[in-house]
Amino acid sequence: MSDENSAELDAEPSAASGPRSMGAELVIPAGAVVFTLYYFLTIIDSPWTAQVSAVFVGAILIALVLAFMITAIRTVARGDGDWGFAALLQPLSYVKTRLYLLGLTVGYIVVINWLGFTITTFLFLFLAMALLGQGKRVKLSLSLAAALSISGYLLFIVAFETRFPFGPFETALEALF
Amino acid sequence: MEIGTDITWDIFTGLLLNTLSFWWMMIPAVILGLVVGAIPGFSAANTIIILLPLTFAMDVEAGLVFMVALYSASRMGAGIPAILVNIPGTAGAAATPLDGYPMARQGRGQQALAISFVASTAGGLLTTIIALLAMPWLARVSFFMHSVEMIVVMLFGISLIATIAARNTLKGLIAGFFGLMIGFVGTDHVYAAPRATFGFLELYDGIPLVPALVGLFAVSEAFLVIEGESILTKRGRELMAAPSWAATFEGMQICVKRWWHVTWCSIVGLAIGVIPGAGASIAAFVAYQQSRSFSKTPELYGTGHPEGLIAPEAANNGVTSGTLVPLIILGLPGGATAAIMLVVLEFHGVNFGPSLFAERPEIGFGIFIAMFVSYVFMIFTIIPLSRYMTRVTVISTSFMAPVIISFTLVGSFVPREFAFDMGLALAFGILGYVARKTNYHVAAILIGVILGPLLEQFFLRAIRMANGDIMVLFSSRLGNALWLALAVSIALPYALDYKRRKAETSGGS
Repeated sequence: MSDENSAELDAEPSAASGPRSMGAELVIPAGAVVFTLYYFLTIIDSPWTAQVSAVFVGAILIALVLAFMITAIRTVARGDGDWGFAALLQPLSYVKTRLYLLGLTVGYIVVINWLGFTITTFLFLFLAMALLGQGKRVKLSLSLAAALSISGYLLFIVAFETRFPFGPFETALEALF
Repeated sequence: MEIGTDITWDIFTGLLLNTLSFWWMMIPAVILGLVVGAIPGFSAANTIIILLPLTFAMDVEAGLVFMVALYSASRMGAGIPAILVNIPGTAGAAATPLDGYPMARQGRGQQALAISFVASTAGGLLTTIIALLAMPWLARVSFFMHSVEMIVVMLFGISLIATIAARNTLKGLIAGFFGLMIGFVGTDHVYAAPRATFGFLELYDGIPLVPALVGLFAVSEAFLVIEGESILTKRGRELMAAPSWAATFEGMQICVKRWWHVTWCSIVGLAIGVIPGAGASIAAFVAYQQSRSFSKTPELYGTGHPEGLIAPEAANNGVTSGTLVPLIILGLPGGATAAIMLVVLEFHGVNFGPSLFAERPEIGFGIFIAMFVSYVFMIFTIIPLSRYMTRVTVISTSFMAPVIISFTLVGSFVPREFAFDMGLALAFGILGYVARKTNYHVAAILIGVILGPLLEQFFLRAIRMANGDIMVLFSSRLGNALWLALAVSIALPYALDYKRRKAETSGGS
């Protein structure tokens, strides 16, 4: 699939050619079935109005997943695919970077409650830019992170009065002005 | 000469000149609208709420012009990040990246923006004129649209899942039905029994749309784009190296040539906008599905096809004037922004209803004239910027990805102000990442999340009112006509495809 003729909008840009990773392709269907079963568990004792839509849609979903599993088994049996998860992880050189970025994102969501919007955004932007830029252009990353987090503070907190968690920066500025 | 049932040219020109005199109010409102529309989580509705003290302090006409300009501009603004970075600013722009983003990746972002701006403006202007002329008749549409008819309208949008699934049927359907299941999370509409909420009180109201939108599109995109230096393809980078105004003019020309397409899709938006409770996202999905169904080149949709961009953009701007029709005639707001406008105008002593046109024509007709003028202002303000906005696509992903993640997560916090929603956006981001890596369409999941709960709500209402009789779904004449139209629009692409293949076979032999 050439880039400019990419027929599938959401096809991942670096999908490896070769055998299909059926293990990876089964992650979404497996998740869908687990979620549907959990959903069914939560509505066992509910009135029928709470059940009807989910039972109808869930039953079709499970049937579709079963059909996909049969397709997957046949694909692997033909030798056109394997049970691996390569499609999820490739290119392997980005696995670590992606995991670190995920860690930073989780950290951002958690830490924002204590450090507040501005400082947490600054730290996240700087660290993520440094990570993705492999330590290059540190000064530019630092300036951008500072400019963007302060702009965010002015736009979201000062102009739009969004009630983001306050940290030392916001508290200090509120006391000053 | 009469323009509508009550409006005359004298009133029209008088109001037009009066509205133009508020240019100083309109320009900042348009700019603000474009900004808030482009930031996920922000919307015209919550911006007007924030600025309520200002609108209460203004005189009624100035406040009206301000709100209408901001509302119209926010619709157009939502398409900008959808095209350039695959992040719809609002749910109404969720269908825009389907063809807009591939155009941007191919280095045709400037052309895509011009198409989006012209289609939005033309859609907005045209539907404003239609609304002005046909208001009494349009208002009646909402009387005829009951639960049964709404079910069919929803199914028009949901059938887009089948369209998306055409390339890989099983995966498309799994994604769509999974989205529907996720959309059913929350309490049921009759007894409020909680379903699949994982014990989180924050999910009792259902899955909030902005975190789902932000996660599926933006967060997953950020985790994917880091694999390249920029989001552009090789050819895209070459094209972007030599930008020129020609791309903007080409985009405008494409829209003008497809004037019928713009007209038709904006009327779809207007008709859906008139129905209280429906919205821009439904209109955009329905218009996209209809556009593809009747296209001579349906296979090009999803690859950066201009018609696939025109359809949602014309439709979601058509909704803007549509939502105001039931507000003015019946006092029923067609959407959140219209509801806030109702509050502001009632504060100023404006009573909505048919008598409004006799008692306060400057308000009744003024709303639509303000919208008309806003769209004219907008196109002249924004078209010259298309060339410069496109430069976003050449920014290095090492800078772009962190900005996308932080600012969209923040955007997901804004509508409900729950920190929980940021975590939810990340969860949807992981789902979107896995889906994209394994070629499941995130748009199919999103359609399910958006339309699933609405479909369930109308279905349960219809069934309850009919005492459990399922045949109620086929009990109204309008409903049956819509069922027929739905069947035709689903079958037509297959029939056209069959006819085309048959012609090719006979031509080849």
